[in-house]
Amino acid sequence: MSARDLEHVTCLGCGCACDDITIVVQRGRIAEARSACALGVTWFGDGAVPAEIRVHARTASLEQALTETAGLLAGAKRPLVYLAGDISCETQREAVAIADRLHAAIDSLAATAAVGVLAAQRRGRAGATLGEIRQRADLVVFWGVDPAERYPRFASRYAVEPAGLQTPSGRKSRTVAAVDVGASRGPADADIRVALGAAEEVDALGVMRATVQGRAAEYGGRFGTAIDLARRMTQARYTAIVADGEPGPIPSDRDRAEALVTLAQALNGPTRCALATLRGGGNRSGADAVLTWLTGFPFAVDFARGHPSYRPSAGAAALLAAGEIDAALVVGAAATLPEPVAERLAAVRTAAIGPRASAATFQPVVAIDTGVAGIHEGGLAFRMDDVPLPLRPSLEAPHAALATVRALRERLGA
Amino acid sequence: MSQPTRLRIAGGTVYDPANGVDGAVRDVCIEGDRIVADLPQGAPRLDARGMVVMPGGVDIHAHVAGSSVNHARRLLPEEHAADPVPAPRLEDGAPARSGTGGTLPSTFATGYRYAGLGYTTVMEAAVAPLAARHAHAELDDTPIIDAGFYVLLGNDDYLLDQLARGEGARARDYAAWLVGAARAYAIKIVNPGGIALWKGSGEAGRRNVTGLDDALGSSTVTPRKILEALAGAANALALPHPVHIHCNNLGQPGNAATTLESMKALGGQRAHFTHLQFHSYGGERGKAWQSAAREVIEYVNAHPETSVDVGQVMFGPATTVTADGPVEHLLYTSTGRKWVNVDIELESGCGIVPYAYKERAAVAALQWAVGLELFLLAKDPWRVVLSTDHPNGGTFLSYPELIRLLMDRAYRDERLKGVNHKLLAESALLDGLAREYTLGEIAIVTRAGPARLLGLTSKGHLGPGADADVTIYANDADRARMFATPRYVLKAGTLVVEEGQLRRAPAGRRLAVRPEVDAAAAKDVKRFFDRYASVSFENYGAEPVA
Repeated sequence: MSARDLEHVTCLGCGCACDDITIVVQRGRIAEARSACALGVTWFGDGAVPAEIRVHARTASLEQALTETAGLLAGAKRPLVYLAGDISCETQREAVAIADRLHAAIDSLAATAAVGVLAAQRRGRAGATLGEIRQRADLVVFWGVDPAERYPRFASRYAVEPAGLQTPSGRKSRTVAAVDVGASRGPADADIRVALGAAEEVDALGVMRATVQGRAAEYGGRFGTAIDLARRMTQARYTAIVADGEPGPIPSDRDRAEALVTLAQALNGPTRCALATLRGGGNRSGADAVLTWLTGFPFAVDFARGHPSYRPSAGAAALLAAGEIDAALVVGAAATLPEPVAERLAAVRTAAIGPRASAATFQPVVAIDTGVAGIHEGGLAFRMDDVPLPLRPSLEAPHAALATVRALRERLGA
Repeated sequence: MSQPTRLRIAGGTVYDPANGVDGAVRDVCIEGDRIVADLPQGAPRLDARGMVVMPGGVDIHAHVAGSSVNHARRLLPEEHAADPVPAPRLEDGAPARSGTGGTLPSTFATGYRYAGLGYTTVMEAAVAPLAARHAHAELDDTPIIDAGFYVLLGNDDYLLDQLARGEGARARDYAAWLVGAARAYAIKIVNPGGIALWKGSGEAGRRNVTGLDDALGSSTVTPRKILEALAGAANALALPHPVHIHCNNLGQPGNAATTLESMKALGGQRAHFTHLQFHSYGGERGKAWQSAAREVIEYVNAHPETSVDVGQVMFGPATTVTADGPVEHLLYTSTGRKWVNVDIELESGCGIVPYAYKERAAVAALQWAVGLELFLLAKDPWRVVLSTDHPNGGTFLSYPELIRLLMDRAYRDERLKGVNHKLLAESALLDGLAREYTLGEIAIVTRAGPARLLGLTSKGHLGPGADADVTIYANDADRARMFATPRYVLKAGTLVVEEGQLRRAPAGRRLAVRPEVDAAAAKDVKRFFDRYASVSFENYGAEPVA
């Protein structure tokens, strides 16, 4: 192994945050991301990032860019701060301080999973860290999702393949169920399949919960396979229900999210159950955690009244759509922005600080390219199950996001 | 007044029980961040005549930072919306942060509110090692207070495995390694063995232990063995704070028997039993509850190696948040409120249910009474610390009200009239406990005592060399008002509260210990880790990696 191999590197390509990657660096570039999946290999790339600083599309000094950004934000009536992907929690904390000082609205990539978060705020959670599912789950139910697509190593690292304390034979110790909901199919190699129409999903979850609680009346053949699955869940020692928290073919639905939580909760007592909600990458779970500890709210926070207010139905996309925002600061990789946010930012004076800011499609007034957290910068990040992990940078970048955002914060007196 | 490098707090009535000072009028001198014996005439003075001067408060047990606390914050947007905390106006326009309150305030609000209450040291009571990095990050964002945390042990699969193999020495080495790796301050045990069963370690359907000698699954490990191993470890390692124990059967009628058995199991060894109120009930499981406070506190009174904090229940909103997953499941099924459970791999659990204690509710009234009985029947205040198990029994903001209940019998009796008496038949409170805590005793149970139990030799007193953490109160007959709004608070020599207003918010320090570690122990943990854990051993703990 050459001296430039770096082990135990955490990948932020998706919410799995696999931390067993070995990065091989040759001639200042990433030559290999060993153990990474295809998505991870793409995320690491060769580690090359642009290092431009632009103000009004012209090359500028960092000093000029920070001055312009500070002026743009300080002069705004209704500023927005957006926490995009690929930044560390340390950088997120600096950005929240700026929003607090500016009395700005602040939102993040974590808002993509808003429906699940809101369901958890109404009902709570029955959850587990992914490693606990690995140790315990003898029945894994993939609810309308095949993690192979967006979370490629989920199955090999957490559930279903690895052996755990109570699942000594790994996959053989488990039963895998796939619930296909409309076009959203579970894994092809499942031991059990249940097919549901998208329109009957919530009803099916309700019937399953009633079955678990022993109060299922006769539903006839309609939900027969779902009821059978519910019975298997009550007979399992530890069931894991795996659902996707990120938007997909199934429209995000409040009732669905809540029905998943309450089914998982109901299974506790008779047996044990955890609902694992799959989340995307870029340390969006970190943005959720940081905003929660600094404001009490996980996303869609508004400091306009001099303190944090929660506006889950008036997050960044809605505020931008309503034309309320007159200046924005994007911290993080511009390319990770949800489309409705990125599109509307084009109409707003925006400063972007983050990886590939100079290539942002919304043409920011100020763009400061930085390194990528986990590739060029260290710090803290969170896995989709809220487990904190350290980031290990393998390359250097000309501008660190943390130092840049901190300098901006200091300039704004925050 | 600018930040003093020298300050003479002049003419106050000083309560410094660790140095035998009980209400004497004298000066307290500060140079830099320390107390000094004297200062030259002409040093800046703070006129404290007529005021009460004490060391800064020390909270020995609260839930203020980390993954469980953040899960609870996330669960309670309605509380945060109802209690906005605008940024305080600090001196010279120094940056300050807004936040929200409720039973689980945001981090900056937590630091500001503790300081505003005259507390300058706080111990977060339960952090899973897997989430240690998270807890440190939150404490980094919790200003003013010096803080540390206790790391959760006693349901972790590696430890249970070592105990099952009879590897007691290895269990001790592991505990030492883990405390250091997590940058923790002490070892915390929550419901030894019970959480492991809740997560499924036992035979099917067994979800908790019921007593000290329940075997865990097929192994010979019992709660008793876990307690003995970890209490022994903390003492053998000479950790500044002994093992911090949340006993089995929390909140169950009849659990006093388990509590006493746990204390006896560790008899002769230093051990701290936390939120004792929740563990001091008579009666029988599934049947009537009653107070067993007298029996429990009499044991404590007679055993100088045993220390406790009370975990008083205060009427009003609370949030129950604990690693004790099975208890929270029980609370969820009995209240129907929203409920969070998070099983934490190979280590522990986390359960959360919002709650409210009501005067008219029989069990809440009993819990309130049991806590007060423990306080009022305690013989040695140095070993009986004031706590509400924030936010489980009530928030830290209710400490002043609790102090009034302890100091003001007439007030207490009046409040007693208003509570449900259904379960109070065995309560000594009804016999008319006349005791009123003195200011000196309050200084012991809120600062000198906990500092001593934590082994924080520069905290909780005002002798030369002590940290210059000082709280100055206007002497008000209404003790709740007095303790809710100190006039001045100094933290490490910085005047953070002036005329009752927060004026400065310096960062606090982290309190952590690093026991010596046997390298072979870490190697064996790594072997287990590489086989089962979902994070790399090298990324575990809270050490910087780059």
